[in-house]
Amino acid sequence: MFDYFIVLGEDLRLSVSSITPTTGTSTSPKTGRFYINPRIFRENMTGWIFIAPAVAIIFLFGIFPIGYAVYMSMHNWRTRNMGYVEFANYTNIIGDWGGAFVLACGFILLIFAYIFWTEAFTADREKWFFLRAFIAFLILGVGLFYIVYAWEMMLNAPAESARLLKYREGFFDGLIRTFYYAFGSIPIQLSLALLLAYVLFQNIKGKSFFRMVFFMPYITPTVATAVVFGKIFAPGESSLINQFTQSLGGEAYRWLQERRPFLEVVFGWQIEGFFAGPSMAMVAIVIVGIWMYTGYNAVIFLAGLGNIPKDLYEAARVDGASEWVIFRRITLPLISPVTYYLAILGFIGTFQAFNTIYVMRDTRVLDQVNTAALVIFDTFKVDGNYGYATAQSILLFVIILALTQVQRSIFEKRVFYG
Amino acid sequence: MVDKIQTTIAVDGYVPAQVKTRKIPYRKIVNQTILYGTLSFFAFLSLLPFLWMISTSLMTGSDAQVGRLVPTTALQFQNYQSAWVEGNFGKYFMNSVIIAAVSLTGMVITSVSAGYAFARIKFYGRNFIFTLLLATIMVPETVTLVPNYLTIRGNIFPLPFGDNNAWFTFDNSWYDILPALTVPFMASVFSIFLLRQFFATIPDELWEAARIDGCGHFRFLIIVCLPIARPAVFTVVLLGFVGSWNSFMWPIIITESETWRPLMMGLNNFVTDAGTRTQLLMAGACITIAPILVIYFIAQKSFTQGVATTGLKG
Repeated sequence: MFDYFIVLGEDLRLSVSSITPTTGTSTSPKTGRFYINPRIFRENMTGWIFIAPAVAIIFLFGIFPIGYAVYMSMHNWRTRNMGYVEFANYTNIIGDWGGAFVLACGFILLIFAYIFWTEAFTADREKWFFLRAFIAFLILGVGLFYIVYAWEMMLNAPAESARLLKYREGFFDGLIRTFYYAFGSIPIQLSLALLLAYVLFQNIKGKSFFRMVFFMPYITPTVATAVVFGKIFAPGESSLINQFTQSLGGEAYRWLQERRPFLEVVFGWQIEGFFAGPSMAMVAIVIVGIWMYTGYNAVIFLAGLGNIPKDLYEAARVDGASEWVIFRRITLPLISPVTYYLAILGFIGTFQAFNTIYVMRDTRVLDQVNTAALVIFDTFKVDGNYGYATAQSILLFVIILALTQVQRSIFEKRVFYG
Repeated sequence: MVDKIQTTIAVDGYVPAQVKTRKIPYRKIVNQTILYGTLSFFAFLSLLPFLWMISTSLMTGSDAQVGRLVPTTALQFQNYQSAWVEGNFGKYFMNSVIIAAVSLTGMVITSVSAGYAFARIKFYGRNFIFTLLLATIMVPETVTLVPNYLTIRGNIFPLPFGDNNAWFTFDNSWYDILPALTVPFMASVFSIFLLRQFFATIPDELWEAARIDGCGHFRFLIIVCLPIARPAVFTVVLLGFVGSWNSFMWPIIITESETWRPLMMGLNNFVTDAGTRTQLLMAGACITIAPILVIYFIAQKSFTQGVATTGLKG
């Protein structure tokens, strides 16, 4: 948890635990009787009174609801409580608990494959290198097979009714689209942001102007952004984006109303399943996501670059290192905590993204752009199935936690905290 | 080169006057061009939607229909007026301002006191509670959404102040009234975190001196800490304002009438009302963005600093 707060060199753990508070109760050394030190007791009371309002509100609207969501998810709850159903909601969404287990195993195998792959490069290289690499690939293959197999198994498991099956498919598709959204936008965002921050960090005139401009998309209300981009990505030849594509010699696409996969529309590739890629509408949403968060990431990167000691650069220049080597061997490793933090934050953000997609989605392509958060929202608001919605949201929460843990276990070693 | 010069000296017996050609730093020029080119390109991309929005909002309907980039006729400032009237933006604007004012007032009071306590008062359970609060950041909004909705409907536990006729009766619903839009936002973990970090930097000597003069925590906070912490409080207010202005998902589920709907919902509803009249919709978008951007231009430094310290917005 605290990893996310070790931004810009500040480690919260140290500052929190530097002073250990006392209860103010102890046994008197003289009389051996239990007594309360009035001064410390007063201090305690003041502290509690000071935090009381904030803690009360955060507890009521931030902590208590988590427990209540778990409670609701175990009930057949359609606008009102219709009885305890144990884990039936979860079973209906997951389809097959065995499948879920196999899926988890598949992801664990992926981590193992990664570890083996890095081992092959770090350990004594010549000896067993190919064997290690081969094993890594083998594990990767098995892991992927497990994931695909489990996914099919869970999707095709029998459901109590066709309606419930539709819910399940909706949720699974929502997860895939969230995956597209995250992996389509975060890498591009981060690399562009690092590029911008790196350029801004050189001695640039008008640095504050550029920083202000790059930060503007982030500060703009998301709904307004979505409304403007909704018109920019409108179908028809007159929309801004289509004027652009046509001027490049392309054709006018239907963007937000296009349900066919992007690869098929643009390149004419007919691919089925997961590798068909996101729909054209989803691509438009990904582009908006990139536009919104690149500048924000750049500002954080810029702050991080400022924290890298200057003498490292000077030493490297004296030794005659080229700019690229300096970037690769000094800047990249030393900025890695910020990268890691932004990646995690962006990841959580995409899983929760709501406003832009809600405004930009077209009723004709709902099933092509609804990410997990929107699927849950629709289950709750449109269908009024509260038990299901909470079960879905808790599954999403578990998935987010698991994936951030995976990211942590993979990248922890590679992140350099100075 | 060196040899040649030396030979010249040897032959002619004098040092030839250096030809004063200023060496043109081609490399530097190319570098600078690339740097500024990249920056300008991305700055243009960042600004493009804004420029397009403003330009379209000043067009006539027919210009907007064919997708012109700049207005061909005189600027149509009356678009703003029609958007303001048709979209009922006056009402929504007022609602958003009231919601922001009420929730920010509460938020600043609770955050300042809690931030101060977490930074400077030693009390039992401090680290545990602070960790717990920070952990709530991880929880997706969708998890707490449904239970919070039920809370607001008064289905989970009784709520005070819900009835417009009687001042203090329990067992009320907050559905569709002001408290539902403000009370949940009257405390913010981000603000507490930011202020705590700031209060922790205030030197202990000040506290000791105040203590000797018989000053308690409350007095110390009001008289000494708050004046020092003014920039931090300002940042908290700014980020809180942006967050409040942005709120969209929560108002969707807990309002049903126009009475308290905030500006962002108004804009979203206006999408269908404006229909194909893009110029009006863009004027509406301009109206909703303007306050935020004006504040941002004025207080730019606080924004970027606040975001860089916490890495998060309100």
